[in-house]
Amino acid sequence: MAAAESPSAALRRRDLCSRGIRLAGKMRADVVDLLDAYVEQQGLDASASVAAVEGVPLAAVERWDEQTGTQRLLENLAAYRAFRALLAQMLEEQREQLGEADAGLGRALAAVLLQVSAFAYHLEELLRLESRGVPGEEGDEEEEDGPPPPPRLSLFEQKLRGLGVLRELAQWAVRSVRDLRQLAKPSPATGAAPGLAESP
Amino acid sequence: MNVAVFRSMAPVFPKMANPVPSACCVVLAAVVVVYAQRHSQLESHTQYERVGADVTMKCGSMDWDAAVTWTANGTDIDESHLNGSYLVLKNVDLSQSGQYSCYEGSSWHLKYQTNLRVGMPPKEPVLMCRSNNYPKGFYCSWHLPTPTYIPNSFNISVIHGTKDMVCEKDAVPKNRCHIRYLQLFSTVKYKVTLTVTNPLGKNFTTLTFDEFAIVKPDPPESVVAKPVPNNPRRLEVSWQNPSSWPDPESFPLKFFLRYRPLILDQWQHVELSDGTSHTITDAYAGKEYIIQVAAKDNDIGTWSDWSVAVHATPWTEEPKHLTTEAQITETTSASTSSFMAPPTTKICDKGAVVGSGAMAVCWTAGLVVAAYSVLFI
Repeated sequence: MAAAESPSAALRRRDLCSRGIRLAGKMRADVVDLLDAYVEQQGLDASASVAAVEGVPLAAVERWDEQTGTQRLLENLAAYRAFRALLAQMLEEQREQLGEADAGLGRALAAVLLQVSAFAYHLEELLRLESRGVPGEEGDEEEEDGPPPPPRLSLFEQKLRGLGVLRELAQWAVRSVRDLRQLAKPSPATGAAPGLAESP
Repeated sequence: MNVAVFRSMAPVFPKMANPVPSACCVVLAAVVVVYAQRHSQLESHTQYERVGADVTMKCGSMDWDAAVTWTANGTDIDESHLNGSYLVLKNVDLSQSGQYSCYEGSSWHLKYQTNLRVGMPPKEPVLMCRSNNYPKGFYCSWHLPTPTYIPNSFNISVIHGTKDMVCEKDAVPKNRCHIRYLQLFSTVKYKVTLTVTNPLGKNFTTLTFDEFAIVKPDPPESVVAKPVPNNPRRLEVSWQNPSSWPDPESFPLKFFLRYRPLILDQWQHVELSDGTSHTITDAYAGKEYIIQVAAKDNDIGTWSDWSVAVHATPWTEEPKHLTTEAQITETTSASTSSFMAPPTTKICDKGAVVGSGAMAVCWTAGLVVAAYSVLFI
């Protein structure tokens, strides 16, 4: 049987959720601006369909309203950790391709990367608050027989993947706002956030 | 059947009755039976033709040189429209829709009948899809830009990525169907194709959109605007979330309020990120205002249409009773020989003053007023 949340924990959770909502909202606005700049400067068609790229976490979810709070936090955390790595890779590729020729795009990418990192940390805080263990990041432990590195993409493939990354990130930012709003709701039965007061 | 009825009635009539009416009834009944039999053997046709087309109708199996009579909705058609036994209608228009019948010349035997429907093939339909109940689903509605004047059928298909989705037709209105979202936050676009078909042709249109782009709430409801007592420049406005928006707590709306005095064309605008009320603080005193509110999901989609307009006028102070010369003039010009102090002149009100000294002041003031009134008679 789930224990009721202490008042201070409830306040802390609501505070973290509110700040997280603001962070995600700002992040989304910046990602949308970055997406416009990226499409223009990479010479891409904004309406181009991009197939799902391996390694890019998809924001699409079925039965979103049935997810527990823990599921929401864990899926969000996994996604933003992945985006952190993807954006770092994009930044590296950007510097290789264009050097200093497109410093503006590079700066915008770096700014979004910073926000993604901050949001991932914020999610970890929320998980710790719920006394949930924060899962380790993939690749923390060295594996002797890990998967081979993916083949290097062509320039055009890199650009398309970058488009896919930013589009999914924009969707995730909206989803995260919705997820945090759900988390911030008090549960009528226990006073805890819906779905968080269950056993692991 | 009628013949049988009449035969059974025959013995009822007295032997002295006139036989002529009975014979007529028998003949009439026979004609009715034969007519019914002959008509029941003919198939019912419907023929669709395009406006402006030339239409040729053949009189069933009759030869070209057979003598026939054509009727349109029971009215004989002039022979100038005949080519032998064929009926030729050139450059048909909508008024020529109706039932066309062909009768054999001598026997008036009905040989052919058709219902001619003149119309047009469908133009490209107009299709709209919208989510006013996010995140539950969305609906699509459609119409034809111009009428075809003949029956049309509509078929809609919805594809999300590689998945076919079912758009359930609404009972009312008929030109609408709705879809429940199976996924949220997808970047994969939805593709909706509407095909319209009628006997003269078909046409289609396709819409492609993503989940967020079509989110558009209904306008806010129950908009109320009230003056604020003792505040001549304020109006208090309140409203409610549209009832079609299923979960405003998880998917909050933001609002846009616009207002202007009726005498001006320029709107003032205020965007409100939360709450369902607002106080206008810069209204022109005494002027009637028109106010409307629109809604939008806090994060995605587009603004709703404007709500129903409400009108309100800020609070104004009630005019006080004047103790000016003008009022005294007005009072004296209306009075006769007796003088009456104006009602607002409360200096002699016994309830308002206390003590004999005050009473003396009271009477003195009354004399002054009386003297004044005499001057202006």
